[in-house]
Amino acid sequence: MAFSVRGFIFLIGIFLFILILELVRRKKFREELSIIWLFIGFGLIFSSFADLVIDPLAHRMGISYPPALVFVIISFLLVLALLYFSIIVSDLKGKNKELSQKIALMEYKFSKLYQEKE
Amino acid sequence: MNAVKSYLIVVPAYNEEEYLPQVLFDIRESNPQADILVVNDGSSDNTPQIARETGVKVLDIPFNIGYGGAVQTGFRFAVEYGYDFVITIDGDGQHNPYHTNRLMDIMEREQADVVIGSRFLEGNYRIGIARRIGIWLFSKIAKLYTGVHITDPTSGFQLLNYKVFSYLSRTDNYPLDYPDVNIIMALHKMKFKLAEAPVKMTEKPNGKSMHNGFRPLYYILRMTLAIIMVLLRKED
Repeated sequence: MAFSVRGFIFLIGIFLFILILELVRRKKFREELSIIWLFIGFGLIFSSFADLVIDPLAHRMGISYPPALVFVIISFLLVLALLYFSIIVSDLKGKNKELSQKIALMEYKFSKLYQEKE
Repeated sequence: MNAVKSYLIVVPAYNEEEYLPQVLFDIRESNPQADILVVNDGSSDNTPQIARETGVKVLDIPFNIGYGGAVQTGFRFAVEYGYDFVITIDGDGQHNPYHTNRLMDIMEREQADVVIGSRFLEGNYRIGIARRIGIWLFSKIAKLYTGVHITDPTSGFQLLNYKVFSYLSRTDNYPLDYPDVNIIMALHKMKFKLAEAPVKMTEKPNGKSMHNGFRPLYYILRMTLAIIMVLLRKED
């Protein structure tokens, strides 16, 4: 890999990593959710040296075009990340339902108490 | 406890200002002994105001959470206020509240825990072909599993005793969208006794029904998944 390309990917990785840390520091991004993105940033930093591992690995696996292997790995990681976020959305949806039902029931109770007091 | 059984009629309603006054009038006329609870599922029209004007109990869910979520809120209310039975009637006027006594009769005769009002047991109710195939297929699956032939598993016209509605009021025991064969199978798994009663349902002129939300393909996939999950899950 050309040195300039290697450096470019490395810098993007560093940038993503710092951006996520900064977002967490400013409390714009919850710590527990940021971990997976920190891993992705970390992976990007390392991917600038990936050819050193990927090329021999791809050849051993019979893949004639090594970047294809990189795409497969990245796609798999992204699918995992999406799954992770879908689980969180699903959990939030359930909690949202619980909350809205509780509000409806409490509002009723509150208005009854209020009427009795009047 | 008082020997007189207490009934709560739960009416889930989402933007039903057009039909709700008539529905509530009919319910009150036909079931004067029962309390009526309208669960307003985040309507953007005058549904809650109309319901309140008629003097029934009203719960306001702050935003739309779906048919199942609204009905479950009604179950929770019934648990909290100690009702013996819950009858669910859709707010769009497709169910005939004068037929609630049929549900009660069947419950008593069959000693059932839940009675489902079926539009297919008598008369001919017109319905789209895709939906008909879906209902036929899933009711066959339900029959294989439960041994009971449920002709109208999507019916929102039901009578449930305390054991059933308190079970369904628990967090993950009722779906947010539309309860269907999966719930019937889950209830059977919990050893509740199921029965069906013939009722008449009215088709709405504009075809709008709380159960028409599904696209056929999505419906089939959704139900297949739900059925597999019922089979895989342990009893709780």
